[in-house]
Amino acid sequence: MMDFWLERIYFGVCAAMAIAGAIGTVAFPNPIRGAMSLLFTIVAIAGMYLQLHAPFLAAIQLIVYAGAVVVLFLFVIMLIGPAATATRDARGLLARAIGGLAASAVSLQIILVLSRKVFARVPVAQGGFGSIESIGDLLFGEYLVPFEISSFLLMIAIVGAVAVARGKQPDPQLADEGETKAPKPTAEAHP
Amino acid sequence: MNAIPIPAFLVVAGIIFGIGAFGFLVRRNVLVALMSIELMLNAINLTFVAFNRAYPHNHTGHVFAFFVIAIAAAEAAVGLALVLSFFRLRKTVRSDEGDLLKN
Amino acid sequence: MDLLKLFKPDDFTLLAIILGAPLAGAFFNGVFGKRVGKNGVRLISMAAMLVSFFAAVLTFFALSQHRHNVHEEFEKTGVKGGAEPVSKLAWLAWQWMSMATGQSDGRLSIDVKFSVDELSAVMMLVITGIGTLIHLYSTSYMAKDRSYHRFFAYLNLFVFSMLVLVLADNMPLLFVGWEGVGACSYLLIGFWFDKEANASAGRKAFIANRVGDVGMIGGMLVIAHYCGALDWSGIAQNVEKLVLHGGQPERIILWQREAGPFSLSPATIAALALFLGCTGKSAQIPLYVWLPDAMAGPTPVSALIHAATMVTSGLYLICRLNFLFVYSPFTMAIIACVGAATALFAATIALVQNDIKKVLAYSTVSQLGFMFLGVGVGAFNLGFFHVVTHAFFKACLFLGAGCVIHAMHARIHDDDKSQDMRFMGGLRKYMPWTFYSMGAATLAIAGMPFTSGFFSKDGILYHVFVNRVVNPVVIEPMAMMRKMEEQRQVFTGPEHDMLARRIAQYWQAPNWLGPVLFCVGILAATMTAFYMFRLLFRTFWGEFKGWKVAPEAALRANPMENLEPLVDEPEAHLDAHGAHGDDHDDHSHDDHGHDDSPGEAPAEAPWPMAIPVAILGLLALFGGFLLAEPLHIEPLGKWLEPIFGDVMQHKDVAGLLSGFVHMRAGAAALEWPLMVPGVLAFAVGSGAAYYLYVHERGIHLPGTLMDAYPGLHKAALNKWYVDEAYEATIIGGTDALADGAALMDVWVVDGIIAKLTSAVVTGIGAILRTFQTGVVHVYGAFIAVGLLGIFFFFGQPHPNVATHKEGDTFTLEAAPGLGYEYRWTIDEGAPEPAFTTGEKATTRTIQLKKGEEKYVTLEVKNAFGRTAQKIVHIANPAPPPPPSSSMKPVGVPPFKPRPKGAQ
Repeated sequence: MMDFWLERIYFGVCAAMAIAGAIGTVAFPNPIRGAMSLLFTIVAIAGMYLQLHAPFLAAIQLIVYAGAVVVLFLFVIMLIGPAATATRDARGLLARAIGGLAASAVSLQIILVLSRKVFARVPVAQGGFGSIESIGDLLFGEYLVPFEISSFLLMIAIVGAVAVARGKQPDPQLADEGETKAPKPTAEAHP
Repeated sequence: MNAIPIPAFLVVAGIIFGIGAFGFLVRRNVLVALMSIELMLNAINLTFVAFNRAYPHNHTGHVFAFFVIAIAAAEAAVGLALVLSFFRLRKTVRSDEGDLLKN
Repeated sequence: MDLLKLFKPDDFTLLAIILGAPLAGAFFNGVFGKRVGKNGVRLISMAAMLVSFFAAVLTFFALSQHRHNVHEEFEKTGVKGGAEPVSKLAWLAWQWMSMATGQSDGRLSIDVKFSVDELSAVMMLVITGIGTLIHLYSTSYMAKDRSYHRFFAYLNLFVFSMLVLVLADNMPLLFVGWEGVGACSYLLIGFWFDKEANASAGRKAFIANRVGDVGMIGGMLVIAHYCGALDWSGIAQNVEKLVLHGGQPERIILWQREAGPFSLSPATIAALALFLGCTGKSAQIPLYVWLPDAMAGPTPVSALIHAATMVTSGLYLICRLNFLFVYSPFTMAIIACVGAATALFAATIALVQNDIKKVLAYSTVSQLGFMFLGVGVGAFNLGFFHVVTHAFFKACLFLGAGCVIHAMHARIHDDDKSQDMRFMGGLRKYMPWTFYSMGAATLAIAGMPFTSGFFSKDGILYHVFVNRVVNPVVIEPMAMMRKMEEQRQVFTGPEHDMLARRIAQYWQAPNWLGPVLFCVGILAATMTAFYMFRLLFRTFWGEFKGWKVAPEAALRANPMENLEPLVDEPEAHLDAHGAHGDDHDDHSHDDHGHDDSPGEAPAEAPWPMAIPVAILGLLALFGGFLLAEPLHIEPLGKWLEPIFGDVMQHKDVAGLLSGFVHMRAGAAALEWPLMVPGVLAFAVGSGAAYYLYVHERGIHLPGTLMDAYPGLHKAALNKWYVDEAYEATIIGGTDALADGAALMDVWVVDGIIAKLTSAVVTGIGAILRTFQTGVVHVYGAFIAVGLLGIFFFFGQPHPNVATHKEGDTFTLEAAPGLGYEYRWTIDEGAPEPAFTTGEKATTRTIQLKKGEEKYVTLEVKNAFGRTAQKIVHIANPAPPPPPSSSMKPVGVPPFKPRPKGAQ
């Protein structure tokens, strides 16, 4: 009985945190606060994973999202600086209304569909369900090829991110030649 | 551990997805738009895991969520690089400034 | 010989070296030539050619050995009187493609396969041998050219293409070489492409050859269709299918007439089409026009084109397919006529040309005419022999002319004038080597007895007189008829008539054709002797007239009118340019130069140029003994017997004729007498030239003649205005067509269709553009809307039923969907107790009697628990009802909804 209530309270706290964090992410004008709220949501969802017998995913969620993605967001916000907080951030009233309508319609439909009784069953989980061993078996067995491909994808993403973020750098060789041809006037001005 | 019915998780996921979609549609800040996408992806992951809990004879939902996380990480990296590049180009992070494609 | 142990006859990879060396040379010179410098280029190209030539000689000996082996084997084991197997060295480089044939169920395979037999071995030796000499010559001739490496890359590629053409084992591969030769000639004729005239000469050659290629491809298609093979042995085996189909004559009906259809045999069509291709490559009427213009290229190229490659390819093709051509005596007659006409026509033009290379060019066209005349009357071996001898003396003449131009150019520094014979003369003193070599070649081409040209040309003329080509198909009936006439003295009657009708189905050349062509040939030979000696005398005899040419003396607009007197009447020239003493003073200028004649005296060419010319001169003199028919010294004829023997056997075996080329009665007796007109032609032609150009001394007969018939001279000088006629008719017609097409393009395509299209696109674009705001959020909103639609669709269950009828059995199949469960109710019966899923749940089978109908209800529940239902009406139509009950419409029953909610 105690367990029953504990679980309900735990779920309630997690759900509230997740929803509040999501609202915060979307609503805070300052993206730093948004990122922190996103962190909230992510941690809460990791909590729910635990409740759903998915400890491995919970760990991954914390490591990848909280540890890497949110930190990356923060880095970029810092890099951009004050300009990251754009003025007149939200769209016009009409656009906001339409967007809200569309989003809530989607949301409503999802909720309507998902909340049907069909899914209400909660079967007893077997002993190994959701354990790290069984997931590891799958990832290095049945799903080995997709797993390796995803590693490849990540590498491409790294290279792509570096290439995109660097932008067009002046070729150092060319710059050197340019310097030799036309020595900087400043060098003469300040011997 | 069976106290919470699966639809509860699903409803939470749906709400988060809706909030994410709303944020993506309404906010002009590219960073916030990216975060909204992360929200939606998280919501989807939650549904995957929840459904897997409802049908626990295999781990497909877990594995799927795992791959979604991997791809979301890649997406975040490239997306943020794009944001940086965009910012360098236009000196702003407002997405509606990036409308060169128009006309 | 060990060579045959090293290389198997059916896998003779030495051919790869023959082909590969020039290709590698071309590649190396083309890619790295600029970097390695002229010496490197020279080394590479000469090495490539020498390797190729050496390999060709080895191949020749190997082939000879192989032929000997095959012959011995045949003697030991073969059936007496049976066909001797062909001796051939082949190398299959790559199995290229294979396709079903139209005719039989066999397969037509086209491989990259090279083979060498007796015919291609001779060609191969000529190409690589003379090619090597020309390469050696070019190393010196082109020494000052900027694009040295490019020249040698092209030259090597040219030799490679020609070798592909000659060594190819099937027609498509031959066509590859054929086109390669065309492309290389284009590149080389337009080698100095910065001059408009050269570039357009290259284009002209290319386009004229394209016209011929149409025929080539057409002929190839006809052969592939009827013979089902494109390799030489395959065509040879199936060649009869071009004439006979199941014992009946095969005809292609071209058009229907009142008096029956006009038809030709496939053999005639194929042979005519191939001959069109040959007229393009081998410069015959009507496509010869490119060859004289091809003089725009460097002189060694002219030598290569005229002697070793390119123009011989048409002849080679006809000789190669001789067994096909004899199946169409009509085409053979056409070939002979075209050859004779070309020989005469080109000779008349060559009579009056002043450009030394132009004379040689028209002489080539004329000599090619002789070759075609020869093969046209079935003297394939002599026609081919003329190819070889012509290669000797024409290469010699061109290279000698190159020496002369080289020497003249060193003095005059003007491209056009250094080729003009009016400025030459007396070069005998300065260039003795060149003179002797060119003199030998001139004797040969003019047909001086016992030189190479004499044996080949007079042999051809002899055969023109005596030969008759008989269609192989009628050999048998002809022999039967003859037997009948001789043995039974039957000259009429049904049997005899039937045979006569069978023979009459096939065309035969009239008897007068041979003598007429003979006369034309003799006339052309006379002219040949005349213009060749004219060239020789004007170049090497008399006084050197180049002293008086000042480089800045502009060639006037019409050289024919203004400059001709300059040579014939030197005084006039002196008047125009101020007196420089009289003509005989000119020798003194050797030492101290001349005021308006800068540069040295003409000098002998360096050894890399002189030696090839001398070698070729010797060959021109003595090469005739390869096939001296009147003297019965015929090594080449013996060698080529396996190729032409089947066609040309003149034997009369056991009362049956064999061979398809016959001779008139008493031909053997005519051999020596018929030589007399040939020798007379030489004597008359050369004597006239001597009289007009050496002996004259003030008579000025050429000038007089020219004044007497100015129009004739002008017309001949302008090549009978053939180019102009082509310009006006074919090119003008094409232009008019292009103009019409351009108008169509401007007004219809651009004006109406394009504008309409663009208007439609603009209109649609204007509408669609409003959606493309460029703002990400708007796109996101669209996605959201789409998502809504998809959710809505999948949220609803969709009961769909497909009905299949098979006899009286109806099968209902429900459409699948996401997590669907099904429940069926058949015609008001009790509904199934529960929703089921799986394979069994989706189909229901119902038996209906004739005229019975039923309503089936399908309920579908999707994964989200929603249900929907659909009522299907199935009816088995009654058999055609008796008339009494026909009032009631069948198959359209009143709608009868099933009561709902009966779960």
